[in-house]
Parts: sequence; structure tokens; C-alpha cells
Amino acid sequence: MPWIAIVVGLATGIAVWTVLDQIQTRQVDKIFGQELQVQLDLRARESLIRFDRYLSSYAATTRLLANYRKLSEYLEPLFWSDDEAIEPVVYKDFRPQWLPDFFERDALTPPSHVLLTDAYGRVREVFQAGSQAVPTEIADQAPTQWLDRHDVRTVIDRLDERLYLITSDAAEDAGGYHMGYLVVLVPVDATFMVASQRGIDIERAAVALVDSDEQRILASLDPRVIGLDSTLSDWSETHVITSQSLPEYEGSDSNLLFATFVPQSRVEKMSRHVRIFERRQRFYAAAVFVIVFTGLIYLVSSRLNRVLKRMTRFSQRALGIPEPGFQRGGNQLVLLEDWIQHFTQLVLRAREEMSRRHQAAMRESEALKAAMMEASLDAIVTLDHSGRVIEYNPSAERLFGVGRPFALGAVFVERFLPDVARPAFKRLLDRSRHRHREPLGRGELIALNADGGEIPVEISIAPIERVGERFFTLYIHDISSRKQAEQEIKSLARFASESPHPILRVNAAGLIVYANNASRPLLRAWNADPGEPLPEDWGTAVAAALETAQPLERELEAGGQVYSLLLAPIRDLGYVNLYARDITAVRRAEQESRQHQAELVHVCRLSTMGEVATGMAHELNQPLSAIVNYANGCVRRLQGGQGQPEELVGAMTQITAQAKRASEIIKRLRALVGKQPPARAEVDLNHLVREVCSFLEFETSRVGVAIELELSGEAIPVCVDLVQVEQVLLNLVGNALDALEERPESERRLRIRTELEDDWAHVEVADSGPGIDPEHLKRLFDPFVTTKEGGMGMGLAISQTIVENHEGRIWAESVLGQGSTFHLRLPLAPPVRDDAGTRADVLEPID
Amino acid sequence: MTAEANATVFIVDDDQAMRTSLQWLIESTGMSVKTYDSADAFLADYYPGRAGCLLLDVRMPGMSGLELQAYLAREGFRIPVILITGHGDVAMAVRAMKAGAMDFIEKPFHDEDLLRSLRNALDHDQKTRANRLARADIARRLAELTPREHEVMAMVTDGKSNKEIAAALGVSAKTVEAHRARVMEKMRAESLAELVRMALIAAPEALV
Repeated sequence: MPWIAIVVGLATGIAVWTVLDQIQTRQVDKIFGQELQVQLDLRARESLIRFDRYLSSYAATTRLLANYRKLSEYLEPLFWSDDEAIEPVVYKDFRPQWLPDFFERDALTPPSHVLLTDAYGRVREVFQAGSQAVPTEIADQAPTQWLDRHDVRTVIDRLDERLYLITSDAAEDAGGYHMGYLVVLVPVDATFMVASQRGIDIERAAVALVDSDEQRILASLDPRVIGLDSTLSDWSETHVITSQSLPEYEGSDSNLLFATFVPQSRVEKMSRHVRIFERRQRFYAAAVFVIVFTGLIYLVSSRLNRVLKRMTRFSQRALGIPEPGFQRGGNQLVLLEDWIQHFTQLVLRAREEMSRRHQAAMRESEALKAAMMEASLDAIVTLDHSGRVIEYNPSAERLFGVGRPFALGAVFVERFLPDVARPAFKRLLDRSRHRHREPLGRGELIALNADGGEIPVEISIAPIERVGERFFTLYIHDISSRKQAEQEIKSLARFASESPHPILRVNAAGLIVYANNASRPLLRAWNADPGEPLPEDWGTAVAAALETAQPLERELEAGGQVYSLLLAPIRDLGYVNLYARDITAVRRAEQESRQHQAELVHVCRLSTMGEVATGMAHELNQPLSAIVNYANGCVRRLQGGQGQPEELVGAMTQITAQAKRASEIIKRLRALVGKQPPARAEVDLNHLVREVCSFLEFETSRVGVAIELELSGEAIPVCVDLVQVEQVLLNLVGNALDALEERPESERRLRIRTELEDDWAHVEVADSGPGIDPEHLKRLFDPFVTTKEGGMGMGLAISQTIVENHEGRIWAESVLGQGSTFHLRLPLAPPVRDDAGTRADVLEPID
Repeated sequence: MTAEANATVFIVDDDQAMRTSLQWLIESTGMSVKTYDSADAFLADYYPGRAGCLLLDVRMPGMSGLELQAYLAREGFRIPVILITGHGDVAMAVRAMKAGAMDFIEKPFHDEDLLRSLRNALDHDQKTRANRLARADIARRLAELTPREHEVMAMVTDGKSNKEIAAALGVSAKTVEAHRARVMEKMRAESLAELVRMALIAAPEALV
């Protein structure tokens, strides 16, 4: 119904209009009045200041004239005697030479007369600009009050009924002698006034000079508007007049005022503008209020309508009451009370109906509950807030051996619980109050029966909140038989927990179900707790054991200890039992002995090779140095011309002998390898390779490469000199490592492969080094061929000798830039007659 | 050739070829050479004060080069030692240098290096021996002085006047005069300045 909204909106608008009319209009008028006065004062003052400044410019110009050089030059030869007959010289129509035209230049109204007097004020010379003669008052003698020996005088006064501006200053001759005064007369008329107010809009304001005694206008800016000789009161009706006294101009007889006129019509016009503006503002304000309030009321009522409708729908659905409707039409705000009353009645009626239905349901449920209490196998006891028994079922009678009449009203804790169980029971009660916690107060306790015997029971407490009171229902279950069974199992379980060896149980999903105390180090190593899964690899091992139903053995290093783990699957239950044994000591002993052996062999081999190399270097150095010495000695003798031929021949012979000696040494060295007595044994070539790898562990880790071993699955029996063949292998792998060092670490690869080929054992050592150039490859096995700095070039030559002694073959393949592969082929050992199957694993000690 | 004419290069090397070839080389420059096949042979032949230097092979059977060097130092024989080392004996060479060897030369060597080193050693030997001879001579003269003459000489070289010395020793100035004249005579000093120089050579530590 929007008309109510419109009415309210209009009423608000009118109220706003009225109030603003009362307050704002008055205020605006007041402010306008004040502002106007300020403006007028300002205007008047400004006009006066202009006028004053205009007068000052005359004073300045007069001073300029009085001190004009030509004037002083003109005065120089003159002397006016005191008693001379006075007849002023009058210049008409032309300017005397001492009077330049300064006024025109400074935009000042030119003077009507300029007088030159002697020191006593007697007029001596006159310049007359127009036809007007010098006013009679001043024609012979200038009044002394207008003259000042030291300063410029400016006076406005009436002469011959006309207003004049009189300015005077002392004049001196060129010798500085005071000759008299220069007096300038300017008529103060409309032209003068206009010039004084230059730049002011005459339309807006006029100015005039007024005789203050008679209030008569003496000079006016525009005599057509403000006529001369009219009085101020003639104009007070039509103009706003501000009169100010002129600054003191000494010597004037007249008492002058400076008046500013602002036409009344202008003020009126401005005032009217302000009022119209104010009224428009007021109208806009009122209109805005009308619109806003109309909209607001309309929105509120429609919103209210919607809320009521929604409430109606909701209550219809929730309470099943008929629609509380509006009995009559009208605005919702007006009808709201009626609606609420009707609605309340309906709700009350609905509530009564519900209450009736609820009571009937309650009665039914009570009967059901009683039946449950009777039939329950567990004892059910209900306590009130003070802990007294208020309900007690037949099962409870049986459990405690106390009849219902005796139990009712007894304090449960005192009657049925021993001292030890009471704090635990209190805790259960407390816990049961926190409804959000699952399970509610539930736990195992010891209860007492009528004979004082202890019964283990499980109690579950359900709190019941009633208005202002709290009850607790206790469900009590006898668990004596279960307890016994549990104890039985626990004692069995202690077997495992007491074991000094780690024992664990893991289910099919890899979760640790049980772990005894001794298994802590294992759990730490796996970073798992009971109930958490095993690491992935162990999980797969467990799965494998379950799959095959076969026990598995694995080893594990944990916290510096080594464990041997037996995984025993129990397929039916889907468990795997883990039995662990600490084998650290055993392992360590094994490892130590192995390492010792390896180190020993390694050191032995290195020192032997080192010694051979050093010895050989020394051996060779001797004959070589001798040769050099002999040769140098010969050269020096020959150069000095002192050598005897037979002497020199002797030295040359020595050179030959020493050279032979050097070659003997090398021959001996090559023969050295071949000459060694054969010390052959049958051995698995794979084993040799593994051993060589273990010798070189230090070097491989230094170079940062892991040797990839591709050993044949079966043993490769060869009958060889172990030391020599190992030396060959050492040499090949050592060369490969040296080659790899020239490569970036990520590209270093070293592979050793062994295989059986018909009657041959084959070893391949392949590296990813820089490779060997083909030219070099041809001479690779010749002695003293080397690519290494500091290398002797003997390694491969010796290796070849050794391999050839074993009726084998050694050769190399290489692709420059991709690596080299060395092949070693040895004949297989003849088939063995004795049946020692593990021969390959038995190794003669090496010394 | 600043070395004395009778300066000798003593070569000790067990390798005969090495020994004779070195001799062949060194003699080509006019130096005289004596060779020995072992340290013992050298010691049997050598007497202290002989002008020359010693060229030693580090590796020898019996007494090694280093041992011989140590022995000579211990006995106060100041003959300069140059060691010849084989390839890879650098550590040994360092030890030798620390023990006071003049130089070491690594085989195979450049003949110029060896000869330059030998010349340096001979120069050095000549200088130290001249110095040593002078000192021995002065010591011999000093030994002829009586204890009182020693005292007088010490004071005179200290710059004391006859009167001061007489007062210090409690004798007459004339007596001091007589002692002083005898000291000059016995020391065969022409002037006081010469006497002071002798005193300094005899006991260089007095300079400090």
C-alpha cells in the first residue's frame, strides 16, 4: 500500500521545508548583511588609498620639478632683492625652459598653474596652462603655511570657489642657495577624480570629496550621477554612502571628507540573488527527504510483509497451525499487532496438542524400558546425582547377591566397591560427563558382592541429564572368566617379551603388530613403532615369505649392529614372525680377517712393483749418466783442442760399453717375468676378478667409480700363476682407472665381464675413458710405450709376456673418445678328476 | 779459475763406469780429480786440511754417502760436499742439504750444472780454509803470551790507556809499557790497529 509511504514522505518533506525556512533564511540574511558591510568598507578604503597615492605622485613630481637641473641653472644668475617691486612674470601658451612636461608623462592631470616664488613666498614667475588666471588669493603672495623649506607640502583647498590641489617644494640655484619655492596648482574636478580612481568600475561605485561642515559635495567622479553642490542626505536614499576623513593635509582651511557611493539598486540585486539561491537549496533538500522517506517506508513494509509470510509458512509446516492471516487490508506496519496476537494464539494451541502426544509416548517408552531392565543379562543400576541407587534390576541382584529392597537408597560406591576401585570409578563418572568423548565412561573395575568377594567387572556409565538433576545409568558386566583367559594369554606372551633376541610380528599389510623390548634397535633403524608399517623393502620381503609360506633369512644393519632375521610366515593368520639374532661380532671378525688379508696383499703387491720400478730407474741411470759424462768430456776436450786421439777412443769405447750395459739391464728385466718358476693352481677366474676388485677398492672410491661386475653364472676354472694373472688384471683395471680420471666424474664407467667360451676363459675390462688413438693401439703392447706421465710403458708389455706364458692372448679395442676394452683369454683348466665341488671357492693363500 | 792449483775433486762412487766417466768429464776442465770406490777408501787417503771438495754418490754399499757426510761433520772436517742422487731420491737429498751439503745433483745431470757446482764448492773451500789458517796462526801467537801479557792485550784492544791499565793492574806505567811492547813483538803486530784486528779474528764473539 504505497500511499502511506507517500504521505509519510510528504510530511517529512514539509517539515524539513518549514524548519529550514525558520532557521536558514534568517541566518543567510544575517551573513549576507555582514559580508556586504565588509565588502563596502573594503571598497571605500581601497578608493581612499588610491586617491591618497594619486596625491603622493603629485608631491613626487613637484619635488622632481623643484630639483630640476635646468631650474637651478635658470636660478643661478638671478637675485630677487627684498625690496624690489613685485610684478610676476607670466608665461602664457608656452613653457618656460625650467618647466619640462613631467605630468603628462606620469599620466597625471596637468596643472593649471605653476608658480615660482622667492624665499619669502612672493610670486616671481607664473606658468599659466589655460585661459584661467592665477586665483587671486595666491596671485602675489603664496601663504607661508603652504611652504616648507625642507619638505614637499600637499594641500587641497578652495581658491576662488574652486577646489585646487596645491603642492610646493623649495627651489635652489646651482650653487645650492635657497632661491624660493615651486608651487603647482591642479584643479580638483571630475577629470582629476577619474584619474585618481583609474581602474575602478565607475558603474559600481562613485567617489566624491565632501565638505564635512556643510555635507556638500565639492568634487565628484561623475558629476552627471553625483551632482556638485548637492548634500549627502540627497543621496542616502538611493546609495549606500561610506565617508572617511582624508589623511591630514596641513595648511588646508577646508575640512574634507572622502565619500564612496554604491548604488542601492546593486545591493538589492545581489541580495535577491542570494535569496533565490537559498530557496532553491531548501526545495532540493525537502524533495530529497520526500523521496528517501517514501522509498524507505515502502522498503520496510514490503520487507516486513515478506518476513511475516515466511514465518507463516514456517509455522504452518513446523507446528501444523492454520495460516495466521490479516483479517483486513492495510499497511503491514499498522496491522502487525493484530497479526502477532493471532499467531500467538495458534502457536499456544499447537503446543498443547504436542504436549499431549508426548506424554502418551513417554508412557509407552517407560514400559519398554522396564522390560529391558528386567530382561537384561548385564546388571543395570541407576544412580542419582549423590550416588545413591534409585534403580536396580534382577541381574544386579544376581551379580551382587543383594536384594533390590536392600540396594535401593544405598550409596553405590560404599556398598559395592572396594576402596581401591573407588578413585577409578570417580574418574569414569567424570569422563562420562564429557559426551563428546568416545567411548563414554567405560572401564574395568573390581566390585564387591554381598559376601565381600571380589568380582572383576566392566562398567559402562551413561549420564542422563534431567531438568536440574543428573542421573547415571551403570551397565555392569561380569568379566571374571574373560580375565582369567586374558591372564593365561598374557603369561604366554611374556615368552616373547622376555626374550633377549628381537622378536616381532608383522601382518600381511606390513604393519608391525608386536615388537618385544629387545627389538628397539630394529624399530629405530626402520624408523617405525608398533602399529606402523615396515619400510617398503622389508614389506615386500614379508609379503614374499607369506606368498611362498617358506621361512626367509635376511640381514639388517641397525645402529652399528648386524642382525640376522628369520621371517617365519604363519599363513592361516596372515602374520609373519620375525626372529632376529645379533651377529655383529661374528661379522666383524669375518670382515676384519678378510680386510687384513686384502690390505696385506695390496701393500705387498704395490711395494714389489714400486721397488722394481725404482731399482730399474737407478740401474738404468748409472750407464746413462756415464755415457753422458764420457760424451761431454769428449766434447770439452775436442773444443779445447787438448784431447789425444787414443784417449778419446778409450772414452768412446766406454760409451759403447755403457750403452750395452743399459740394454742388458732391460733384457734382464723382461726376462725376469718369464724366468719365474711356474707356481700354478686351479682357481675360479671370477674369484680372481673379485679379489682384484677388492684390492682396488681404495683406488675406485678415490676415482669415484663403482666397478660393474658381470660375472658368468658358473665358475670358470683356470690353472694359472695367481700372482701373475692378478698382476695382469690389476694392471688392466689400474690403467682403466687412470684413463677414467681424465673424464668428468658423471661419465666414469668401468665394467668387467667374464664368460666361458668353448675351451676358453674370457675376461673383458671396458672403460669409458678417452680411448686410444689407432696409431698408438698398434704398438700398445711394446715395451716403453706409454701415454701416462711418469709411466714406464712396461705394464702391458709385462702383461703380454705373462699371458703368453699361460698360452693365452691379450688384446685391446678402442674407439677414440668413447673408451677402450681390453680382452684377456686364457685356456680352461683340464677337467678335474677329484670331486671337490667347492674347489673354486678355496683359494691358496697368496704371499 | 780462482781455485788453488792443488785443489782436488774427490769422487766417491761404487760404480766404476760412473767414477771414471765423471773423472773424464771433470778433468776436461783442468781440475785435478781423485776417485775412490768406497767411503772407507776415501777416508784412508784423506787428511784434514786438504784443499778440494767431495763429490759423493748417495747410494753405495758399505758406508753410504749420507753416512760419510755425517761422519765428516762429526769429525770437524770442513770439506764441502756435493751429493749425486738417483731418480726419486729427493727426500734423501733434502736430508743431505739439511745436514750441510753444499749442493745435490740429480742423475742424469747436465754437465754445466755439475761443473758450476764444483767451482762454487772449491771457491768456498778456499775461502774458509784461508780464514781458518789465519785464525790458527793468531791462536799460535796468542799461546806464546804470558797471563799478564794476555790481560794487558785485552785491555789495550779494549781502548784503555797505559795509565788506566797500570791503575787496574796495580803496577807502574813503565811496566805496562814494557808488557805492551812485548805483546806487539810476540803478536808480530806493526800497529795497535793490527793488534785489534787480530784480537777480533781470534775471538769473533767479542764483536757482539
